[in-house]
Amino acid sequence: MVKEVAWREIRTRARTKSFKWITGILVAAAVAGPVIATLVPDNVTEELREVTIGLVEVDQGVEDQILAFTEGGLDVTFRDLSGLSAAGVEQALTDDDVDLVLEPGPTLVWDRSKDFEVAAAVYTALQQQELLVRGRTLGLDQGDIAELLTPAVVEERFANEADASEGVTIFVSFLGLMAAFMLPQIFGQLTLMSVVEEKSTRVIEVLLNHLRPRTLLMGKVLGVGALAVLQLVVVVSGLTAALLLTDFVEIPPSVWRFVPVILVSILGGLAIYNTLFALLGSLISRQEDASQVMMPVFIPLMAGFFVGQVAITGNAESVLVRALTLFPLTAPMMLPLRVARDAIAPWEVALTLTLLAFGVWLLVRIASRVYEFTLLHTGSRIGWGQLVRLSRGATLD
Amino acid sequence: MTDGLRVTGLHKRFGDIEALRGIDLEVPRGQLVGFLGPNGAGKTTTMRGVLGLVAMDAGKVSWDGRPMTEDDRHHIGYMPQERGLYPRMMVHEHIAYMGRLAGLDRATAAKRAHQWAERVGLADRGDDLIQELSTGNQQRVQLAVALVHEPALLILDEPFAGLDPVAVATLSEVMEEQVARNASVVFSSHQLDLVQDLAEHVTIVAAGETQATGTVTELRGRSPVRHLEVHWAAATPDWSPPNGSRREAPPHTSRFVVPAGTDAAVLIADAATHGEVAAVSFEPPGLDEVFLELVGQ
Repeated sequence: MVKEVAWREIRTRARTKSFKWITGILVAAAVAGPVIATLVPDNVTEELREVTIGLVEVDQGVEDQILAFTEGGLDVTFRDLSGLSAAGVEQALTDDDVDLVLEPGPTLVWDRSKDFEVAAAVYTALQQQELLVRGRTLGLDQGDIAELLTPAVVEERFANEADASEGVTIFVSFLGLMAAFMLPQIFGQLTLMSVVEEKSTRVIEVLLNHLRPRTLLMGKVLGVGALAVLQLVVVVSGLTAALLLTDFVEIPPSVWRFVPVILVSILGGLAIYNTLFALLGSLISRQEDASQVMMPVFIPLMAGFFVGQVAITGNAESVLVRALTLFPLTAPMMLPLRVARDAIAPWEVALTLTLLAFGVWLLVRIASRVYEFTLLHTGSRIGWGQLVRLSRGATLD
Repeated sequence: MTDGLRVTGLHKRFGDIEALRGIDLEVPRGQLVGFLGPNGAGKTTTMRGVLGLVAMDAGKVSWDGRPMTEDDRHHIGYMPQERGLYPRMMVHEHIAYMGRLAGLDRATAAKRAHQWAERVGLADRGDDLIQELSTGNQQRVQLAVALVHEPALLILDEPFAGLDPVAVATLSEVMEEQVARNASVVFSSHQLDLVQDLAEHVTIVAAGETQATGTVTELRGRSPVRHLEVHWAAATPDWSPPNGSRREAPPHTSRFVVPAGTDAAVLIADAATHGEVAAVSFEPPGLDEVFLELVGQ
């Protein structure tokens, strides 16, 4: 029966326009990101800045040197201004026919201000040319000059070299945190609305003729949870395919090591929050009252998300982060990022997962008990005090 | 030992309100029982008690002579007063889903869904969403949902409310079919003329207590009064029976309410001394009047 209830949830929710649209948009965004990012840098590098240099009686060797030093950075063309008067040269600069003029001396003539990128390339080219001329004057042959001008090989090493995959690791951690924050929120509210719909349409009376409240609860939590996983799988598959096909970024093998932890955390988060939202949905009879009962659930969600964001790049082993890792309502957000950051001991992982499983079990048990009394309750909202009494085994008057 | 449903001494209190103060109800197999009472009499609470939706403070609910079990409840078909359907499910899908929850295998549930959609007149609406149907058609789906698993006990809470005459006729036929296949059928309704036509047995409740139970004829017969109607051949004479209370009547007709023990033959003979009598009827009151007498309104 749990399977039947779950399957109905999946079938009816998955065919709604809103679910299809949201999934479509998320997949499109996941695929478009790497594709666009791959296309944009190529376009930029292909477009080199064009620079026109006016030459007044300058050796051919200088042109060659300038071209050699600006290759790949600037698109340089030359214009011979020999024979022009000083005024003519300045007019060429004023009219933007050239960007600078190289006169004998050598002298660089600019219009109003110096272009430092062009200046650096031209200075270096002129220095090189001067060294060649002086070398020949001193009687050095071409080989000696070439050896003289060969730059020294400089090697580098790092005391704490950054892992090349760290960026990807942080990105995946952030995705895990976002998923653990967003999915329980979106699909938990869907679970709540589903419970309220069953109460407000009175279909609950017909259902409870054949089902135990616990069966109904389990089916709903599993069905909506499976729908969330389905959406996540579709979106992540799109993202992974786009990353692999575009070669935008190489996915390091270490990432796959903590993907299972992310999945377990997300599943745990969905189970615990869907159960919680279902329980809260049973306290009300109208969708208008939903915001009142949902507010407390957002406190642990927001706390986990904000602390998690800081811990992704900051200290992932602080007391607060450790405490929130062990708390079942925030564990789904904390655990994946700490594993990704390699900032958690294996025993802590085991303890966190055990506490999470216990939290889910306890909440399902309490929710089942409360559900029996609240599902058929209509009219005013059941208060927090009554909820506590019900969870302790009291009955509704 | 009674085959079918037997409810005895149901009590239920909601806070300060004593909703049920001793409800008795019998619905033998192969019988259609009207469960009547004014608003707030405890009909719906009793039905929910039978279904196990509301825990009773006292009383017994038995099926085929033994306490009703959870398994027995799987064989109940229930049509609640406020219709309970998923607005975004399709007609066939919804009926089949409820069939599955009631224990049918997938193929049987699908087959029955088509059969019942056709039986209640929705064969061409099977792929429509429930929310696209009119209220009357939604009620037809609700009936199909209650019957898809061929229940041994059918509980219908105000099934005729809001139905057009065609739908009323269909529902009445279906209810009689269920009785014919030996199911126990109990329904509540405020349309007493319908109840009188359809149900042989009725139970009347008021203020959480059973006031009367029996066949319609028995209940009418138990009334302390009788209706006398005399049709005169000519103008209406100035005649009244002793202990009779006159009621408004059309021309050439006299109507009276007299005590149940009155001898009709003596009255008719006395009337004939005052004018030529064309026709006479001497009957117990209708179910509507019996109902009003019993519920004290």
